[in-house]
Amino acid sequence: MNELQQSFGYSEIKSWLSAKGLQPFPFQEETWQYIARNVSGIVNAPTGCGKTFSVFLGALIRFINQHPTNYKHKSKNGLQLLWITPLRALAKDIGRAMEEVITELEMNWTIGIRNGDTTTAERAKQKKQLPEVLIITPESLHLFLAQKNYADAFRNLQLIAVDEWHELMGSKRGVQVELALSRIVHCQWSMQQCKPMIWGISATIGNLNDAKEVLLSSIGEDGVIVRANMKKQIIVESVLPDEIENYPWAGHLGIKLIHKVIPIIEQSKTTLIFINTRGMSERWYQELLNHAPELAGAIALHHGSIEQELRQWVEDALHTAKLKAVVCTASLDLGVDFRPVETVIQVGSPKGVSRFLQRAGRSGHSPDAVSKIYFLPTHSLELVEAAALKHAIEEELIESKEPMLLCFDVLIQYLNTLAISDGFRPDEIFAEVKSTYCYRDLLQEEWEEILKFLVEGGKALQQYDDYKKIEIIEGLYKIQSRRLAMQHRLNIGTIVSDAMLKVKMVSGGYVGVIEEYFISRLEPGDCFTLAGRNLELVQIKDMTVLVRKSTSKKTIVPSWNGGRMSLTANLGRKLRETFNEVAESGRSKRPDEHSPELLHLSSLFQLQQQLSHIPKDNELLIEHHESKDGYHLLVYPFEGRQVHEAMSAILAFRIGKLAPLTFSIAMNDYGFELLSDQPIPVDDTNAAELFTIENLTADIQRSVNATEMARRKFRDIAVIGGLITQTAPGEQKKARHLQASASLLFNVFSEYDAKNVLLRQAYQEVFDQQMEEVRLRDAFTRIGNSNIIIAVPQKFTPLCFPIIADGLNRNNLSSEKIEDRIRRMQAQLMRE
Amino acid sequence: MQQPTLFKHLQQTLWLSPERCLFWEEEQWLIVSDIHFGKSGHFRKAGIGIPQTVFKEDLHRLVTQIQYFKPKQVIVVGDFFHSHLNNEIKLFEKWRNDLASLPIHLVKGNHDILATDWYAANDITVHETQLVKGPFAFMHELPANETTTSEYIFTGHIHPGIHIAGLGKQSLRFPCFYFAEQYAVLPAFGRFTGLHPIRPKKKDKLFAIAEQRIVEL
Repeated sequence: MNELQQSFGYSEIKSWLSAKGLQPFPFQEETWQYIARNVSGIVNAPTGCGKTFSVFLGALIRFINQHPTNYKHKSKNGLQLLWITPLRALAKDIGRAMEEVITELEMNWTIGIRNGDTTTAERAKQKKQLPEVLIITPESLHLFLAQKNYADAFRNLQLIAVDEWHELMGSKRGVQVELALSRIVHCQWSMQQCKPMIWGISATIGNLNDAKEVLLSSIGEDGVIVRANMKKQIIVESVLPDEIENYPWAGHLGIKLIHKVIPIIEQSKTTLIFINTRGMSERWYQELLNHAPELAGAIALHHGSIEQELRQWVEDALHTAKLKAVVCTASLDLGVDFRPVETVIQVGSPKGVSRFLQRAGRSGHSPDAVSKIYFLPTHSLELVEAAALKHAIEEELIESKEPMLLCFDVLIQYLNTLAISDGFRPDEIFAEVKSTYCYRDLLQEEWEEILKFLVEGGKALQQYDDYKKIEIIEGLYKIQSRRLAMQHRLNIGTIVSDAMLKVKMVSGGYVGVIEEYFISRLEPGDCFTLAGRNLELVQIKDMTVLVRKSTSKKTIVPSWNGGRMSLTANLGRKLRETFNEVAESGRSKRPDEHSPELLHLSSLFQLQQQLSHIPKDNELLIEHHESKDGYHLLVYPFEGRQVHEAMSAILAFRIGKLAPLTFSIAMNDYGFELLSDQPIPVDDTNAAELFTIENLTADIQRSVNATEMARRKFRDIAVIGGLITQTAPGEQKKARHLQASASLLFNVFSEYDAKNVLLRQAYQEVFDQQMEEVRLRDAFTRIGNSNIIIAVPQKFTPLCFPIIADGLNRNNLSSEKIEDRIRRMQAQLMRE
Repeated sequence: MQQPTLFKHLQQTLWLSPERCLFWEEEQWLIVSDIHFGKSGHFRKAGIGIPQTVFKEDLHRLVTQIQYFKPKQVIVVGDFFHSHLNNEIKLFEKWRNDLASLPIHLVKGNHDILATDWYAANDITVHETQLVKGPFAFMHELPANETTTSEYIFTGHIHPGIHIAGLGKQSLRFPCFYFAEQYAVLPAFGRFTGLHPIRPKKKDKLFAIAEQRIVEL
């Protein structure tokens, strides 16, 4: 028996569990042991395996051991456990589970929940007497720091748990958590000379060690990783089209396979159908109803633009097994478990291994159940991805999450937050901020620049200035104005949505929200689809779109402005390796040893091989094509759209140095196309040179339009950094002279204050995230070590077709015309 | 400064300046619209640190245009000032004092909410809805019913911009002068203003302001 097992708290909890017929999992006991010893760390466990209890019961054991005689009666203990969760919806469930334990143990703890839904009365109550456990979102935690005398709350805090840390890390919400942790830890240290423990709860990611380092940075401890080692069985099955189109075209195959989806839905209790874009999910929902009218009422739609209440209803109906199927987007990736879900269908590439696994994990939720996921391709080549995904799952090739660095916008917001509560002293806070992982490389001069921006507001005309935000009162940095404080409180948070308008029926009733830019292109009388309903635009008034029901057959499905996801590095690599299998097929192995997906595609591959080449993972294939549009150069690095975007621009720039050519560029996740009206001088004498890593940084700067990319990044930064304020409803009229678009602010700062920290951050984010400079460099290095194979096929190849077809989108053809044109091209190629 | 571009319209001689204003030679009037003085100050008062250089340079550019064209009077076609009185407008008052002999007319725009006596104190003649001279009428916004006046109307308000699409999804937006059949829209003079894309008809005349030059499209 170890120390823990001898303790009173352990035996109390253990006997409570036994009374319920339960046994702790080894990873739970391990966690309890560390908590008993005051060691911090990360619990790595999949959802539904008791990860909540690993940390929560650990905290209880510790409390019982500290108060063995009176733990049951002891009340008003102050905050003991702070539970940070990214999801409001999770808070209720976790709170309920905790309440149950407390009641059954006959303890006197209270469990509080704090998020955007918490009423003011409840908040006031919590302020008077803090509960022992507070479940809180990162945003609400920052709002907590915006209250006067917040520090007292953390006097006796024992443990901070950060749930779903893998989701938070790598986002600005994660940075918010880092900053809040640094404040809480140092508050306690200055009052009591001790620090609370920090425990993260995380699903598996590629860099769990980094996750631990980031989380524990502010307490300066190494900590431990406790692994649950529960492997979930996952079955992946592809929905194979009856006929393979040798000239695949992105996006149009999916819906054609709908007749194969209906039996899957019928066979299982509840099915989740994941679609990559909101626009396509609207179409799928419509088509499912068209093909299986009997499903009306038993299927639902769930995506980010649907009204909150309706989404809530869908989620509740999922819990109670009232629905046969839900068509959804990433909006259902996270969150509480829906036990009735038996089957998941992924439509189109999931773009990454983790996302695919996460979605698969939405089915078969008890720890020993099997997760079943169907992969439905939206074009035939995506079947290769299915094969690659299966390999990646076998090898557990889970992606890493890169922690964010030096987010000035979040720091500025945080400093304003501290300034509206008790104010802050720069030296103290600088040291704290530097103790986080995100800001550990923050320079003294950057810090001073930020303070200066907050106090003086950048470039000013001294006596003709009215700027007022943070004031320095005897060394204390504080916001005095109640109006500014209120304004800031409303804008705490790092989740920035597009400019959205509410959609309401003329007759009353709220439908959802829609991007302003989409609706601004419509005229009254036009029809569009939202939340599965056909609607006619009546008018736009006061930030609200008024609509009525439409019976029109021709409606426009809104295209939402969410960026297109790009293939991850892991999946890209697996994809290239899968092509080895294709290239070697027919040689060593018997047919049944091959992936069914690849066998199904054999005619397509034969055509590719016959016309050109099938690239192995140590090769880079380049194809020259000629058509009436001009000269096409196709390159297939299989690195994902995002890397291709930068790589194609660099290649175009480098070729441009050989000959004065103008290119039009297209790409998908597999490769990219340079199109020119003159022959493109790339052959085996200069190809290697074009992919050299030499001068890469300089060439990036010269070729990629970083300004446009930075302008797009600047919107989020401007909102988080407080340059754009979101106003409460009803306040809009008053604030109308304070409206300026992010793009306009970007112009003004670029022209009049180019060194502004927020502007610089926009460019840095472009480099790190948009161009993924590190990954780009890796890709160039890899290509440098590969054989470059240059082919000149007689006609378009299966690999090039989807890229060239996608490229047609660039030219201002209407969508109908593109469709006709691609069909004609397909037909023609098949005939030849 | 780049040279202004000559544009003959209804037998009148108009000089389009790349500094986003227009000089009417026959009357010797300098016509500007949507200056939005005090906008950066208004933002700064609300704790939003817009660089005040944008205001300083707007004021400076206006002076330069006045020195260049030497107009008999200046017509502002609305949105002279962005919002309530603030310290930036104090700097304007000082400047106004230095140029006291120059008549300034304002056709009120939706942003011009300063008190009536303030305009009087600063010797700005205010026209509530419009100002008519010769073949032209000046008003901030186009009236709902276009045919109420026989004159050709100069407006501002919308901050017209034109989209020019290039290859490879590139597209650029420029402020512009827009001359339709019965009315014209002037570009916003102030640099802290956005652009509203316009869709010209075939017969319309359009002058984009690209990198300090006037380009007819």
